[in-house]
Amino acid sequence: MASDSSWLRDVGLAWLMARAILFSLLGILLLVGFIVFRRWYRGRYFTRLSRRTVALREQWPDILSGKIPGSAWRLNALDCQIVEDILLDNIEVSDRDQLPAFLACLRNSGLLDLRIREARSADGWKRRLALLALGRTRAPEAVPALVEALESPSEETRAAAVRGLGRISSPQAAVPLLDFLVHEELHVSEHTLKDALLNCCREAPEILVPYLNRTKGRTREVIARILGELASPGLGEELLILAADPLPEVRASAARALAKAQPEISFPVLSTLAMDKEWFVRLRAVIALSSLDHTGRIYVLLRALCDQNRHVRQRAAWTLARMRQGKEEILERVVATQDNYALQAFLSELERCDSLDAALDGLGNIVARVPGAADVEAVAAIVREHFAAPGKATAATVGKR
Amino acid sequence: MLRFLEISNDSLFVYYLISNLFNLALLVVAIYQNSLHRHRLASRRPLGLKSSPFTPPISLLVPARNEELCIVANVGSLLRLDYPELEVIVVNDASSDQTLPALRKSFGLHRAPILYVAEIPTAPVTAIYRSLAHPQLLVLDKQSAGCKADAINAGINAASSPYVCVVDADSILEKDSLSRIMAGIISEPERVVAVGGIVRILNGSKVEGAELKEVRLPRTHIEILQVVEYLRAFLVGREAWAAFNLLPIISGAFGIFRRDLLLKIGGFRADAVGEDFDLIVRLHRYLHDHDIDYHINFVADPTCWTEAPSDYRSLARQRARWHKGLLDTLWSARNMLFRKRYGRVGWVILPYMWLFECLAPLLELLGYTTIVLAAVLGCLSQQFFLAFLLFGYAFATLISVGSVLLEEMTYRRYGSWREVAWLLIYCFFEHVPYRQLTMFWRLRGLWEYLRGDLSWHQVKRTGASTSTPASIAE
Repeated sequence: MASDSSWLRDVGLAWLMARAILFSLLGILLLVGFIVFRRWYRGRYFTRLSRRTVALREQWPDILSGKIPGSAWRLNALDCQIVEDILLDNIEVSDRDQLPAFLACLRNSGLLDLRIREARSADGWKRRLALLALGRTRAPEAVPALVEALESPSEETRAAAVRGLGRISSPQAAVPLLDFLVHEELHVSEHTLKDALLNCCREAPEILVPYLNRTKGRTREVIARILGELASPGLGEELLILAADPLPEVRASAARALAKAQPEISFPVLSTLAMDKEWFVRLRAVIALSSLDHTGRIYVLLRALCDQNRHVRQRAAWTLARMRQGKEEILERVVATQDNYALQAFLSELERCDSLDAALDGLGNIVARVPGAADVEAVAAIVREHFAAPGKATAATVGKR
Repeated sequence: MLRFLEISNDSLFVYYLISNLFNLALLVVAIYQNSLHRHRLASRRPLGLKSSPFTPPISLLVPARNEELCIVANVGSLLRLDYPELEVIVVNDASSDQTLPALRKSFGLHRAPILYVAEIPTAPVTAIYRSLAHPQLLVLDKQSAGCKADAINAGINAASSPYVCVVDADSILEKDSLSRIMAGIISEPERVVAVGGIVRILNGSKVEGAELKEVRLPRTHIEILQVVEYLRAFLVGREAWAAFNLLPIISGAFGIFRRDLLLKIGGFRADAVGEDFDLIVRLHRYLHDHDIDYHINFVADPTCWTEAPSDYRSLARQRARWHKGLLDTLWSARNMLFRKRYGRVGWVILPYMWLFECLAPLLELLGYTTIVLAAVLGCLSQQFFLAFLLFGYAFATLISVGSVLLEEMTYRRYGSWREVAWLLIYCFFEHVPYRQLTMFWRLRGLWEYLRGDLSWHQVKRTGASTSTPASIAE
């Protein structure tokens, strides 16, 4: 390759090259050897795992009742892992009645103490896995160890602790999370935090309200969002205050929550929110109105159908097209708005719920009755052409506003 | 002359040494990153995203041009993906075959008067269709602008979600791939602006109705070599570069992006030859120009299976096109080189791409020429030459074997001993003679680009993604 007089000669190239080749070949051999060994080892491990799982499953009632003492399986790492996995899987799908038996087994065998100790004293991934396992136990005594980990300098550990608390799924686990959140001492991914809080507050969403009242800015938005998901009819008055919040995200969450409140309380507020200056607040209000059983909502939805935002229009159309009232009557009101885009959105939704033909048949009569609806007839013709013969429609009707 | 040959040969040695050391460093970083990712996966449950009300919606963009062989089955498969808030937008880019009629028939499409605002200018959209049976499906029919980028841009305009995911019409996404790729965003939604997933080769696998039933290695040499090449490129290269926030490319076959950012940079560049590479470089530029703290991520477990060329002619065309795209993008980003404003992007990844990717075939050709000349003129040390060849070959093979090791340590898609043995055997052929073949194809790409031939030669499809006809929606 290089000539005899090359400068590379001076640095002992032959020596370097020989070793480089040796190193590369040795590396290849080692990698191939490692791959083969790892495959063989994994195959053996999974065979053993499967065999022991079957054996322990056969003894499961005795293990659970304590007839087979914990010491018989806890000292064997593989058996211990299998029993813990079975227990945690069972806890995840168990109801209130079944849970105590599984928890008793965890406690009596010492598995729970072992995990609590690991969550407090171990490092790195071992600690994180212990935190998650503790969360899956749903045991109240796991909460303090999980809370301690919220102060860890490692973000991964904090996230594992938040996930663990989320898995506990009790208001008792929500309180420390909210305390940390309110004091802005919890730095984890917002998605993780919201999921955890959602799980923890499901049984008692009212614990969010005092925290909401104490916070501002992004933290307030996060708590309001959880409340929006979990709101119950009993939270009516608190939600009314949120609807007047200066933060649009909070108002949107209030609209979301009001869908679950009593209609006589929520309808007037949602009607106001449907005229909010932020489009996503209006959209949330329209969505909430779609699930509300109130006779007055049709007027709000008709106004929303003429909204400048297409998402709001489409959602209003979606709701109107699926209302129990006569489609012809609603169509007449839509035509009377003299808004071609509102009409297009509504007809499109009618078509999607297979009510278009009947509605279009009544359109001619409506055009004749409603003053100033001449333009609407043209739109109806275009829409009719769209739906009747899709292949013949022109580009003029699409992408033009 | 002798002096020139001496300098040339020495330079080639140093070039090759640096290139291999770079690759070795990337392998080490990738092994570390992969093990870190595996640990993270153990503490997260991507499937938990499915049940969360906080999971952001995604618009899946599927540009389709003359895809009648696979479009119905593949769209059906996309509609069945496990993701809570999904909108599928198929953009029919003036197909001359039965792509649109097949979609209309199979999914009950009807023209819908939907407002379409061309925030990114595209060729005119002539019709928008919605499906009665699948409300989340939207089909745009547009005139051709002669490039895939324009079709994707139309999809971006029509998308209503904050994130858009671009998928090739002939590719198959695994059911949980969207949940898994979103995990790369959800951990840091403020910083992560785009995420790439891994693209694997579908050829040889068992597919039924656009769903992957069994992963198998392809049968032909050229396809298996591509499997090794893809493993090295994705599991080593992308994983390692992403660790330093220097990911130069997210594959056009599978990537997710923040829609608002795509709108700000004007979407995919319609006249770019390699629109995916070009987009990521422009994203880097925009985010640096605006001093935005960001991360462009790669996650190796969400998988997209795609059909790779199975004959030499198609592969040659594909590689030539890729190289044209590489040069085109690097040339348009030349003013980012060694500029303080662009930080590591300007000082590390772009120079690396120029030196070890774009100019590599030229430098290799130069090397082969000077070696032959030196041999003819009698100034070549044969002993050293052989040693150098052996070193280069062994070192590069080490990296390929390392990528198979990574696959084994992490995702193990090829389960049988026989398949792993074949993968390892083919690692020894990736650098001789496959590398030399690709070198010539890439040189052809360079030559075509310099001649101004930017045409997108169609790659022959065998319809591997639809081995069994689908009965979706019929």
